[in-house]
Amino acid sequence: MVDTGLLDALAQGLVTGTIIAAGAIGLSLVYSIAEVPNFAHGDMITVGAYFALVVNRPAEISLLPGLPGGAVSLVVAGVFALVAASAFGALYELAIFRRFRSKEADLITMVIVSLGLALVLRNLVLFVAGSRNIAYETPVVRDVNWDLYLTGSGLTVQRTQRQAGDIALLGEWGYPLWLLLGIVAAAAGVGYGVYRWRSTDDDFRTVHLVSPRVLGVLGGLATLLALAYALRFGPQGTDALWSTRIGTSYKDIVIVVIVAVAMFLLNLVLKATRLGKGMRATADNMDLAEVRGVDVNRVQLVVWVIAGLLTALAGVLAGWSASNVNPNMGFTLLLPVFAAVILGGIRSPYGAAAGAILIGISMDVGVYLLPSGLATYRTAIAFVVLIGVLLVKPDGIWGDV
Amino acid sequence: MALADFAVSLVTFIAIYGLFALGLNLKFGFTGLIDFGHVAYFMVGGYVTAVLTMPAQVTGYDGLGGYALPAMLAVVPGGDVLGWLLGVAGGMVAAALVSLLVGVPTLRLREDYLAITALGIATILNEVVRNEVWLFNGPFGIRTIHQPASGVFPLGLGSFTLNLVVLGGLSVLVIAYAGYRVGGYVKDVDTTGAGLGLASVAVLGGAIGALTQGGSLLVVGVALAAVGVALVREAVRRSTEPERTLALVVALAVAAWYFVQPLLAASNPTVTLQTNVMFLFDPVAGPNGGLDYDRFFMLLSLAFLVGGYWWCQRTINSPYGRVLRAVRDDEDVPRALGKETFRYKIQALLFGSALAGAAGSLYTIHLGFISPDQFGAMITFFAFSSVIIGGTANNAGVVLGTAVFWSINSGTQFLNDYFPSEYAVQLAAARLIFIGVLLIVILYYRPEGILGEQDYDIRLPGEDPVPSRDETAAAAGGDADD
Repeated sequence: MVDTGLLDALAQGLVTGTIIAAGAIGLSLVYSIAEVPNFAHGDMITVGAYFALVVNRPAEISLLPGLPGGAVSLVVAGVFALVAASAFGALYELAIFRRFRSKEADLITMVIVSLGLALVLRNLVLFVAGSRNIAYETPVVRDVNWDLYLTGSGLTVQRTQRQAGDIALLGEWGYPLWLLLGIVAAAAGVGYGVYRWRSTDDDFRTVHLVSPRVLGVLGGLATLLALAYALRFGPQGTDALWSTRIGTSYKDIVIVVIVAVAMFLLNLVLKATRLGKGMRATADNMDLAEVRGVDVNRVQLVVWVIAGLLTALAGVLAGWSASNVNPNMGFTLLLPVFAAVILGGIRSPYGAAAGAILIGISMDVGVYLLPSGLATYRTAIAFVVLIGVLLVKPDGIWGDV
Repeated sequence: MALADFAVSLVTFIAIYGLFALGLNLKFGFTGLIDFGHVAYFMVGGYVTAVLTMPAQVTGYDGLGGYALPAMLAVVPGGDVLGWLLGVAGGMVAAALVSLLVGVPTLRLREDYLAITALGIATILNEVVRNEVWLFNGPFGIRTIHQPASGVFPLGLGSFTLNLVVLGGLSVLVIAYAGYRVGGYVKDVDTTGAGLGLASVAVLGGAIGALTQGGSLLVVGVALAAVGVALVREAVRRSTEPERTLALVVALAVAAWYFVQPLLAASNPTVTLQTNVMFLFDPVAGPNGGLDYDRFFMLLSLAFLVGGYWWCQRTINSPYGRVLRAVRDDEDVPRALGKETFRYKIQALLFGSALAGAAGSLYTIHLGFISPDQFGAMITFFAFSSVIIGGTANNAGVVLGTAVFWSINSGTQFLNDYFPSEYAVQLAAARLIFIGVLLIVILYYRPEGILGEQDYDIRLPGEDPVPSRDETAAAAGGDADD
């Protein structure tokens, strides 16, 4: 019997971090370009999650009895949520924030306005859907455990799954010690090589579509997984010096992949389109951008639409991951999301993503390391990390990029 | 429940939350600190006072304390109240100390970072109180709240007639004085505003009447309500002084609700009206009637509110208050003049939190039971709404804003009676949606709130003083020296 350990907490933290990242990038975009410290962002996430619920389980929404159609798969519901939430994002901008911007409202006013919007959104959800916990209608996903045994001769991997109370073995293979070291070395080498290849003849004018560091890490990871899949040897025994279990499911993988794709697409928009250039210019200096012919109002509208999209994404993924949607889910996410954004430097979406991963990992690893009685302080850990970092670097890790 | 009991409860609520909002105004309105964690100090004050005044060894309570200050001091005359006051002081000091711990690392942050950090810390403190049973009994809360001087009540003067005359007379005097003051304020309203205001109150009254009848009249009620709101808007827009018109509309609405509605609705109109007018006199309290504890507690809360208000006014109108405002407007200026601005910020935080702590002490008595659920982040947001509705950096405005906020939030609770009980969540949500919209609308159309920022006693040289009657009289005498 193996127990979950640090690696499991790391994997969990990575998933938590990606969900936080989906929220954090939108918040950071809105902050840097629309200049709103958006306290309604958490409740926008809730609204996004409920949009999917309206299509996925219409019978559960108390004020909408007997909608035609009935249960639609979560994929379709998620797409609907994205569309509806982006429309709502446009609505927030046109109905509220554009008006306040034209009055040159200061930062404090924007904070309070977003607070009012948060109050409206949260109670709108309560009004329409009630306060119950609801889960999406989806096929049941079983956890798959990856049990790792490090023995004198190498590493044994077992894929197991709990089925009807018993642990079933799905597959077993292993790597001799020399191969293990070889794979790790190859991955590190490829990663470093990719980094060097991309960052040669770098100067201050170079705009990378994906930064060399990220590409290097991705290249290394891809090499690691490809080699590990291709070079599977026989099991190396289970009388382990050290063993651990990583519990995961295809949910987790889907979540990480979806958020990664969304981040890449956003990156593409920001760096490779004219609109994205306008967005970055507006973030830098709104007046200067306007003078140079950027249609600032259009940029702001696009920012709110993108923020709406990302909140729906975060909401649906969070609701699916936890198998629970409730009116408070966004507000509970708001604190780690803000922590991530501030940690990464509030003006940089890239910093926000990095900060989110860091916050997610520190939350789950923190819960693993702390005594079990303190597990309820998961969100508190995010804040302790945040305050610790702010004391040392008051502008966050990335600074005001 | 008679309307008078409801009004007493509402006024108590307004007094407590008014004190709470005054504390917030000191931080946010005058010093510019966005403290989204204000509720934490409310919670600390409430819990610490409860624990200090609670008897030891209460069954069902496994937390700290039971220090029974009132019982210890019972040997001294008035020791019961004295012990409770010491408990309140303890709560205030505890709240201030916690805010000191929070403030020292966070107050150097930018304003938006401060807001989210404060919100996070308040949430964490609430989690701590909820999870640590050894601290304050965790989620089960505290059920034995000491009520100061509760043994004396109901307080009577001997005979029924004497009670009726004295307490009833006092109530009538209070109402008359309030009417006089409001009358004096709205006297100058122009006729268009007055006419439209009167009409709007009549239409809105009809709307509520139709709404409460239910059935197909619901549609009529909604339509009338829309017309009434449009009339109010028109009245405010057309009048030269919107504040006075608005005050007139509110005063008329309150008067109609309090004095006219019993005559229409109740089965026993004259008795109901009598109870409403003589609100301090409760005929069924004790053998001869008298002042019951709820009414006494309302007076006590009001006394605290008045004390807090007086103290805030003193602070703000002093040179010290001027530095606080300078820190808010531009921190570099007072710093350039040699003021240690960080120290001023910390002090504003301490004082504001201490006021919140005192409000928390009163709150525990009003509810008679506390648990961590009652101290959610929403309470802070309610206080922010109150401050902004009434007028940021205006102590009178903050009290007014609290009154408006809680009148909307609690005053519409009678609508619950007319809807099936399964819609209670919906109604509560609808109220808060309305308040959220109101907050945004006020910020857009009137960012300074109903009353706007207050005038200060001390004026800069060269700035025109507000002409008051005495000064204009003096100017006519010709002794102006400029």
